[in-house]
Amino acid sequence: MIAQIGFSILLTSVMAYAWTEYRRAPVIAILSMLVATAGLYFVWLPAHATTLAALVGIGRGVDLIIYIWVIISLMLLLNLHLKLRSQAELITILMREAAVANARRGKPSK
Amino acid sequence: MSAGNHSEVDPRSIWIVIAAFNEAAVIEPIVSDIVRGNYSVVLVDDGSQDKTGQIALAAGATVVTHPVNLGQGAALQTGIKFALQQGAHTIVTFDADGQHRPSDIARLVDALKHSNADYVLGSRFLGSSRGMPLRRRLLLHAAIWFTRAVTGLRLSDTHNGLRAMSREGAQRISLRQNRMAHATELLQQIAASELPYIEVPVTIEYTRYSLAKGQGLADSVAILFDLSVQKLHR
Repeated sequence: MIAQIGFSILLTSVMAYAWTEYRRAPVIAILSMLVATAGLYFVWLPAHATTLAALVGIGRGVDLIIYIWVIISLMLLLNLHLKLRSQAELITILMREAAVANARRGKPSK
Repeated sequence: MSAGNHSEVDPRSIWIVIAAFNEAAVIEPIVSDIVRGNYSVVLVDDGSQDKTGQIALAAGATVVTHPVNLGQGAALQTGIKFALQQGAHTIVTFDADGQHRPSDIARLVDALKHSNADYVLGSRFLGSSRGMPLRRRLLLHAAIWFTRAVTGLRLSDTHNGLRAMSREGAQRISLRQNRMAHATELLQQIAASELPYIEVPVTIEYTRYSLAKGQGLADSVAILFDLSVQKLHR
């Protein structure tokens, strides 16, 4: 029960974080929320996880939950990458403005 | 467009944009040749650690300097922005590594002038390429196929840095890809603009120097990754 509550808090946090990221990276946010919802479902109904795992050939339900957790981690990693890219774009804009404002004009020697 | 409307264009309103990173060894004759053609030149020194900027300045270019290296895509966008601010009528992008011939600029500008196109793209496969290794040729053909698939443009060449655009065409370009994926992104934006484009034959001369600076297979993978990831965020 303690583990279930712990995992539920964790997965709910992932969902809340994904929601805050929706405007910037909608695809990642939706996928993260879907996967977190699936995780939440299986945490409370592990028997269903076992049934589904057997159906897709994974074996044990707990393995399926671990896979889902790995997918969530990879998505959060991708989201971090996208965030860094957004920061890099802002830095580029800033540097471009400064560079253009400080252009130096050359005079060719005749 | 626009390009067909101009009868006599002041060569000074034709801006040549050169993105350069550590090109001190080759940049002087390139800039000098272009300046002799009475074109305006803006060289974007993309955080070079050598004297690229100073040499280009002495050769007559206007130099815009990125404090740190951002990548060729970022540098080209900076150059395009600067040229538009200066009232450029036509903008030509030109590589800094000595692969392009300054004499091809007139060919591109003429094609822009005498057609209704807003973009004139240089094609080494309609023209000629000297010293191109087989591996590079195969990579380029794969890139052409990929470009056709993602942009719908029926081009004979891709990732060729020699291109000309009208003012209106340049205003539609807004590169977000700082590094090598900008070449595909630019073609995507040309396709999205729905403005007319044509290809003209140009000559590319590969040298040991330019090949060392060129793209390899790993860069192609990075380009694919960058283009895919861009679709995931705003």
